[in-house]
Amino acid sequence: MFSKHPRTDEFEKVALPHLKELYRTAAKLLGDVTKAEDVVQETYLQAWKSFARFEPGTNCRAWLFKILVNTIHHHRRNWFNLRRVPASEEILERTVACAAPVPERMAQEEILRALACLPADYRAAVLLADVEEFSYKEIAGLLDVPIGTVMSRLSRGRKLLRDQLDELARSYGIGTGGREGSA
Amino acid sequence: MNTAPHASNEGDAACQTLRGHLDSYLSRELPEETSREVQRHLEICPRCAAELATRARIRTQLQAAVHATPVPGGLEARVRRSMRGEVSRPRTGLWAVAAAAAVIVCVAVVSFLRVTANPEEAILRKTSGRLAAVLNVGLRDHLRCAVFRKYSKQPLAARQMAADLGPGFADLAPLVQAKLPGNFRVIQGHHCEAGGRHYTHLIISGGAGGGRIVSLVLTRRQSGESLSGGIHQAGVDRFQVVAFESHDYLAYVISDLDAQQNLQWAANLAPTLRGYLAAHAGRAARWGRPPHSTYFAQLCQVLYWS
Repeated sequence: MFSKHPRTDEFEKVALPHLKELYRTAAKLLGDVTKAEDVVQETYLQAWKSFARFEPGTNCRAWLFKILVNTIHHHRRNWFNLRRVPASEEILERTVACAAPVPERMAQEEILRALACLPADYRAAVLLADVEEFSYKEIAGLLDVPIGTVMSRLSRGRKLLRDQLDELARSYGIGTGGREGSA
Repeated sequence: MNTAPHASNEGDAACQTLRGHLDSYLSRELPEETSREVQRHLEICPRCAAELATRARIRTQLQAAVHATPVPGGLEARVRRSMRGEVSRPRTGLWAVAAAAAVIVCVAVVSFLRVTANPEEAILRKTSGRLAAVLNVGLRDHLRCAVFRKYSKQPLAARQMAADLGPGFADLAPLVQAKLPGNFRVIQGHHCEAGGRHYTHLIISGGAGGGRIVSLVLTRRQSGESLSGGIHQAGVDRFQVVAFESHDYLAYVISDLDAQQNLQWAANLAPTLRGYLAAHAGRAARWGRPPHSTYFAQLCQVLYWS
């Protein structure tokens, strides 16, 4: 009864390969994997709805990330202020029968923790530049801010991340490899 | 910038300037000329070259850590399904488009009227997502039964409350009452329905001026509903929700208290509730029966007490 939309295959071919990176970015930006799943699903739905306006040959990845950023922004304004209660908040540990999982890769876990500690705007800039390798100009377009703001957020975000990792390394007695005066 | 480094204050200043460019150099975002200057400096300054290597390593480690984040196996299928749902609409010409437009307008008007007329739905519409949907299960009952429904503010007699709760939960209200701050009272205890779902519901009132309303809501967990074993806290409008799982049930503490107070209430009540549900698992198994069985049980109890 229903016919397959003629551009479905084309959309899936160009858009679905970016699903993993969209999900990972959403998960790190939101700090919540369940929310990230919802946001990614909504991103694809929005992308599909506006696929008629997408010009073949242009940057599909940046287009999807732009929709992702907008979707997250929309959710932050309208969504439940929903959060998982951290175990440290004196709450219910005695009633919940699940121990905190021991991370398999401690170093990665620590890096992600340091990343999660960054203010949201800095974290977004660092993720988009240093993990997803968007250009500064592209990030300015994705976040809808001037390129100077992107550079400022990157500079502060990267420095905060380095400082946290330095502190971590010192706490392990690793030392900082002679690093000094990093700007 | 290509001054020999560390030979003078001028060299240190050059290093400082260079380090401000290192990340952009790694990202290939520097103008060509600046990039060449950085390159020349790095060739003669081992300390800045080491700093560059460190920053490159951090970046690589960050990428590896983020890329190691597992992606849920079913996500792509979920995306495809939702997209197919979106594209499965029949496309049968202009009349169909016009008819669809008319339907959309009608639905929009009806939705608007419904939302305007139904403050409960207006609040629930602010939430979305799978996890939030589980939170909504409890919030819906609180809104419908404790907030927007008119009920007596006078506490029910303990005997009446026990009768309303039925044999399975007759002793729940006094147990909960014992855990409450002195200026709060359980004023209602009953079984109710909202959105076609069965709930066991205690309404608690009190606090400064007696105007605070707190609900303790229990409902059997249905297929696909999970909080992943965690405790979740949410706020929407003036309402605070804490939800957790206990045996086969979802339990909620919902109130107009502030977030921290609501959480504290949940912390105080949770051990009691978990113990209670465990001890009454047999009786609680009858929980999901349709209301008439509850009424029948209540009738039996009333006859017994008579």
